[in-house]
Amino acid sequence: MLRKLRDILAFWRPRQRVLPFGVLFKKFQSILERNNRILELMADMGDKLGGEYVFDRQYILDAAEQQADMVFKLISDLSILTQRKNVELFLAFERIRQAIQEELTGTHVTTGGSYVIPLKDVGHDLSELAGGKMSNMGDIRNRLGLSTPDGFVITSRAFFDFMQQNGLLAMAREGINAWDGQDDAALESLAATMQERIMNAPLPRNLTTQVLAALDALAKAHGTRNIRVALRSSAWGEDGDASFAGQYETCLNVPRDEVMDAYRKVVASTYSCKAWRYRLFKGYREHEVAMAVGCQMMVESAVGGVLHTYAPHIAEGVMVANAVWGLCSPVVDGNAPTDTIVLDRAAPYTLRSLSVGDKRRQLRLAKGGGTEWCDTPEGLHDVPSLTVEQLEHLAQAAMSIERYYKRPQDIEWAYDGKGTLQILQSRPLRFWAAPLSTEPQLEDVTRNAEVVFSGKGLVAQRGVAVGKVFVVDHSTDLDTFPHGAVLVSRYTSPRYSRVMHKAQGIITDVGSPTGHMSTIAREFRVPTVVNTEVATTLLQTGDEITLDATENVVYRGSICALDRFTLTEEEVFEDSYEYRLLRRVIKHTSPLNLLDPHADNFKPSSCRTYHDITRYIHEKAVEHLILISERQGAQYLSAPKRLVTDFPLGLMLIDAGDGTSCAPESRTASTSQIESIPLQEFLKGTECSEVWCTDPVSVDLGSFMSSFTRTFSSSLASPEEVGRNLVVVLKNYMNINMRLGYHFNIIDAYISDVINDNYIYFRFLGGVTEFIRRSRRARFIATVLEHFDFRVEVHGDLVVGRLKKLSRDRMAVRMRMLGGLVGYTRQLDARMHTDEDIRTHAQAFITAMKHFLGA
Amino acid sequence: MTTENTGNGRRFRILILDDEPIVCKRLKPAFQKLGYEVETFTDSTSAIARLKEATFDIIITDLKMEGADGMQVLSTAKSVAPETRVIIITGFATLETAKESYRKGAFDFVAKPFKLGDILDCVRKIEQEQRGNAL
Repeated sequence: MLRKLRDILAFWRPRQRVLPFGVLFKKFQSILERNNRILELMADMGDKLGGEYVFDRQYILDAAEQQADMVFKLISDLSILTQRKNVELFLAFERIRQAIQEELTGTHVTTGGSYVIPLKDVGHDLSELAGGKMSNMGDIRNRLGLSTPDGFVITSRAFFDFMQQNGLLAMAREGINAWDGQDDAALESLAATMQERIMNAPLPRNLTTQVLAALDALAKAHGTRNIRVALRSSAWGEDGDASFAGQYETCLNVPRDEVMDAYRKVVASTYSCKAWRYRLFKGYREHEVAMAVGCQMMVESAVGGVLHTYAPHIAEGVMVANAVWGLCSPVVDGNAPTDTIVLDRAAPYTLRSLSVGDKRRQLRLAKGGGTEWCDTPEGLHDVPSLTVEQLEHLAQAAMSIERYYKRPQDIEWAYDGKGTLQILQSRPLRFWAAPLSTEPQLEDVTRNAEVVFSGKGLVAQRGVAVGKVFVVDHSTDLDTFPHGAVLVSRYTSPRYSRVMHKAQGIITDVGSPTGHMSTIAREFRVPTVVNTEVATTLLQTGDEITLDATENVVYRGSICALDRFTLTEEEVFEDSYEYRLLRRVIKHTSPLNLLDPHADNFKPSSCRTYHDITRYIHEKAVEHLILISERQGAQYLSAPKRLVTDFPLGLMLIDAGDGTSCAPESRTASTSQIESIPLQEFLKGTECSEVWCTDPVSVDLGSFMSSFTRTFSSSLASPEEVGRNLVVVLKNYMNINMRLGYHFNIIDAYISDVINDNYIYFRFLGGVTEFIRRSRRARFIATVLEHFDFRVEVHGDLVVGRLKKLSRDRMAVRMRMLGGLVGYTRQLDARMHTDEDIRTHAQAFITAMKHFLGA
Repeated sequence: MTTENTGNGRRFRILILDDEPIVCKRLKPAFQKLGYEVETFTDSTSAIARLKEATFDIIITDLKMEGADGMQVLSTAKSVAPETRVIIITGFATLETAKESYRKGAFDFVAKPFKLGDILDCVRKIEQEQRGNAL
């Protein structure tokens, strides 16, 4: 009743002034242009992470500003188009813009973030919140897929709030400013006072609540009532360039009721005299001090120890492990005999030597908390503590970590009671940079090496890989991919992500550095070169090679000097501030969360990134253009017409001027009534029987049609409404927006006798089907477009093709081709079973088109 | 791929100046790997002082900096050692600044961000040319 009343009252409202269709359509076009530009910028920012480009902070600022500017204008365009205020969209935009701004100014640490983050969500990008050590643990667990004890991080925000609440940060700052830099006793006294104050200071109430809740959740997840945890320091910069080894406190086997005191203890260790002095020596300023604390399940280790991935003092090309029964801390502290094991650094990590220590005592977890020494059972004193399999597994894990961090590593590890390898800690080893000066110059080594190929393809991720080739094709089972091998393949494929933690490098014949696989390779930091054209013809499984994905050269044999050069570079570029910053900014711009236009979250308030906003606006703009042409059509242009074709194109047509010859009031248009040159040609292309009517189509067409209806909301789902795609035409112009299944196709074209005005813009964005098939379809489309002279860019599953300034006839031929292509591709993703299908289909399509077009 | 020494057997010397440390950090190892001798600076005062006491074959300098800018570095470099080649890199590339750079004798003008490979190629090109002259 109320609604009825409202409807009646609405009738009396003054009518909104309606903008002419021409203006609205211009806004629509502007939305498309901006949308494309924003997506291109996103892809461009992603490319920069691979190391091929040199950029600075200014680039990040510029890119962020450009994107913000375009997204803002995009929302404004939509506001004009729909004549609504779109407050929610502007709010979403402002939230995202603010978040990016905070990233750029570095203020997010103290203003945002929670007190507790689960380890599964931690990685290097959160290092300001999680501290150095725990962000390493997050990478090792979440990126490299290795086991680490489960747990969470008490963040640096907790530290700041705790310290500030008690006036302790100011006290430290004032204390150190007043210190003359000489008087040791004064520093010691300052440190002691700080530590005492911290131990006695009250914690923010929320902090205790959150930590205990996280602890209880952890206990529940692991089915234990009597949870025991290790609290580990994770200061800013700890285990990074400055290792801070042994500077801060670690509390082992802590029961629930002692956790908050242990937290204070770790925080207090930040201000131990030793740690303070170390920071001053390293040039750390007082405001750079922040202590996050890792809280992890205790591992009752059967065997534990330390591994150094590189040990030049023992021999060239080896790693060394020390192991004991029980907990690994005796190895770290050096207060017990250990087994010493020397292994090859290269797969299969052959054992070079083993010296067994007399391990009479071992450190174990004590029942009441803490640790205790106990006697090792008689028969185990002088037997090796690790099996050959355990050693191999440990070596593989260690080399994965080293490859990721591009630095030799000092790794604490343990095999738990179930025989699972747990990585407890990993930090860079730095002692060995010196010996390099005595070795032959790098350029001499590479000059004499045999070059397999050079300067071919594009670098997707910089770095050096030494290892044996393993050729992968569609039939190769990735389960047999050997650890430490270099993956060589004809095509890029996102399915290779499964073995990226094992691969030293990746080389492909075909592919793009902006493709999905390249993006994943960058995540894993696997040196990758794509599009070499020749890799699979020149390289075979078993060949030993060195891939230099910085100079883009493949050498025969293993050139360890190159590997070493990378391992000693002044800075690992991925870890530098600018790269971390760019990655953090991209998190607010590029991920797409709003996939399905009919899902509940497809609304402005759910937009978490710029990509979400652009996706939302694109959908709404197309929807709105159909709507206004229906409501206002009679006033400004002919009513929208259903285009009657033999094929299920489902096009609604809006004639904005001389595009058709049918009566303005007519609700349908036939192909013979189309006057628009681009649309005429496009429709001719769809008639190419070769591409529409091949045998399997009837089967696929059914499933295709079902996916077709799925994209429309319930209000549009009645049979006569199915297939409401939109085409706007003028005599020389056409703009098609098609939603087929979950993918989007835009063709914007102008064809006339004036060559300089002619253009075709083709854009295809894959849907939500399995990524592998979508990406194959994208590559197929790219291949075809390139064959027909389009300038093509592929970003993941987005294909953009551009063609300009050809004669009317040549443009017409290409429009017809696109008609065929749209027909062909809509059936295609279901048929893209293997990478080989890309080539087969491209050839089939091009041949069919040749006959059809006579071109 | 590999680098030859200059005619007199001396290694090619490069000075890199950019107030953003990341640029120096990225360029230095890339050139060192190819056998070049590299010195990096993040402030133009120290770089200009160094230019006056040592000769470099190539200078790669940022354009916009606090204190003396890239154009001044270019002028100084040309006045102390006219044969030194200067490559200007900038995040604020315009046609005008590019023209001005060339007019003042820059060998090349590169807009940031740039591909590492491109600047390496540029340096190799200069080196080959210099070596040709030395023969």
